[in-house]
Amino acid sequence: MQRRIWIVLLLAWSLGPLLWQLYTSFSTNQALVSPFSDLQQRWTLSHYQAVLNGNPPFWRYLFNSLLVGAGSTVLTLVIAIPAAYGLTRIRGGVNQWARLILIAAALFPYVLLFLALLEVARSLNLGNHLLALTIPYAALSQPLAILLLSSAFRDLPIDLEEAATLEGLGLWQRLRWVLLPLIAPASTSTAVLVFLFSWNEYPIALTWISDSDLLTLPVAMARIAGSSIYSVPYGAYAAATVLGSIPLILLVLMFQKSIVSGLTSGAVKG
Amino acid sequence: MSLSINNLGRRIGDRWILRHLNLEVSDGECLALVGPSGCGKSTTLRLIAGLDPVDEGSIRIQGVDITHTAAIDRKVGMVFQSYALFPHLSVAANLELGLKVRGCSRDVRQRKVHHVLQLVQLDERASLKPAQLSGGQRQRVALARALLRDPQIYLLDEPMSNLDAQLREDLRPELRRLVLQDQKPVVYVTHDQHEAMAMADRIAVLRHGCIEQVASPMELYQQPETLFVAQFIGRPQINVLPSEQGVVRAIRPEAVELREDGFPSRLLHREWLGSTQIWHLESSMGALRMVTSAQQSVPERFAVGWAPQHEHRFDAKDGKRLHS
Repeated sequence: MQRRIWIVLLLAWSLGPLLWQLYTSFSTNQALVSPFSDLQQRWTLSHYQAVLNGNPPFWRYLFNSLLVGAGSTVLTLVIAIPAAYGLTRIRGGVNQWARLILIAAALFPYVLLFLALLEVARSLNLGNHLLALTIPYAALSQPLAILLLSSAFRDLPIDLEEAATLEGLGLWQRLRWVLLPLIAPASTSTAVLVFLFSWNEYPIALTWISDSDLLTLPVAMARIAGSSIYSVPYGAYAAATVLGSIPLILLVLMFQKSIVSGLTSGAVKG
Repeated sequence: MSLSINNLGRRIGDRWILRHLNLEVSDGECLALVGPSGCGKSTTLRLIAGLDPVDEGSIRIQGVDITHTAAIDRKVGMVFQSYALFPHLSVAANLELGLKVRGCSRDVRQRKVHHVLQLVQLDERASLKPAQLSGGQRQRVALARALLRDPQIYLLDEPMSNLDAQLREDLRPELRRLVLQDQKPVVYVTHDQHEAMAMADRIAVLRHGCIEQVASPMELYQQPETLFVAQFIGRPQINVLPSEQGVVRAIRPEAVELREDGFPSRLLHREWLGSTQIWHLESSMGALRMVTSAQQSVPERFAVGWAPQHEHRFDAKDGKRLHS
């Protein structure tokens, strides 16, 4: 019984702000400033209409973010999976050093790389191009992705790969038929983490992109919040937040099983 | 000779974990590699399979030197101790995968898989995942995979050590029949001397990366070349007497009997094995084990001894057999 109370409290703690946001997005401006007075009109869809009919329309930002998120996720996995496999098969000191460097890189505050990245993007003529976000996101996600995936590879019994080799499977065939299916949970959770990072990333997106047709969600939402100097458009901002969260919620619901099993892989030997 | 190993050596860093290994296994012969853990028996198997690189010597199969051939190009059928079945694939898919990458057409694949599953009596289980099978069934799937490889040689790495004792006993004749039916050399690694005696035509006893003796099970038992072999082969373990003038004498517990002119002894403990019993004795020659018939009752005072021809004599320094 007591456990149930704790669970309810925890849920209220973590879901409360989200529910409040949902409530705000459907409330009229009057209802927001005087929630307890008797109003004729309390609920409205006008915030959603405003956000969706803006110029450019809101789905445009959603699409940009999805494109950047999907692109950087795919790019990250394409590079990180072979790297992680290689790392687990190298023995000795190189392995230890590589791991240390990767951990250091994963912990490095990326904002410090900002100016250098900007120079690189400029020299490649990538200003105001979605690739200017996709590539650095994939690069910044690399260390964590390699570490997560290599621990997944390491947890696979070496016997499996040796058995596959003796069956006549070459390196790519072993990856394709044996190793990748077995690390699928770890790959999925890594992919979701990378996607979340690029979905939420703000500073790079703010600086690299000025064309309003190419903005990603966090920047677009910040623009909505700061669109007027006289008032804060709470309702519109909340509606944008809700719309922006829907793809993430769908993503997590779809993959929740493999996210959980992927994040805990290596914790217990199976 | 169809498998021929010549002066084989494997080194890790500066340490030789296997050296000067010479072995011949002919077609249709099962050779068991036995020894305590770390003696190099699994290493030998991995070198034959090509899973570890050879540092010295050579390996030939059917006269062809494969010492430095990549594992993927060697035709070996290996059964791993862990079975190494692909957990995400059904039994049938596990068996088909190798055939598929080796370019077998779909029809041929299905026919072969069906046939081998019948052979190992698992045709009802084709669509199950390995996790849904019992230990014995998994072992048979692993064996079926090795059979489908159509190998030049079979390598079995402790294939039964994860099974319970009863199942092991039941599977032994079947395993032997299946791997020997196509007349290929079979190398069988086990730490269990009893299993080696039951399965193999010849046994190689390894210790510290070197072969102590290669011989038939009976010869190993009757004519052990070293004290180590004498102690490793045969249960209950051979009695080793304290060394006298550089000679160690050893007597099988089965050869010890009640004798009036023997060493006065006292019974410490007896174990019933049904048809026989083991007596643990304290004698004037130290602790002795003796196997006797189940009917034998314990006299109040008694002495034990043995016929002189049952005595094995070894050099106390190097443990080698002394031929008299």
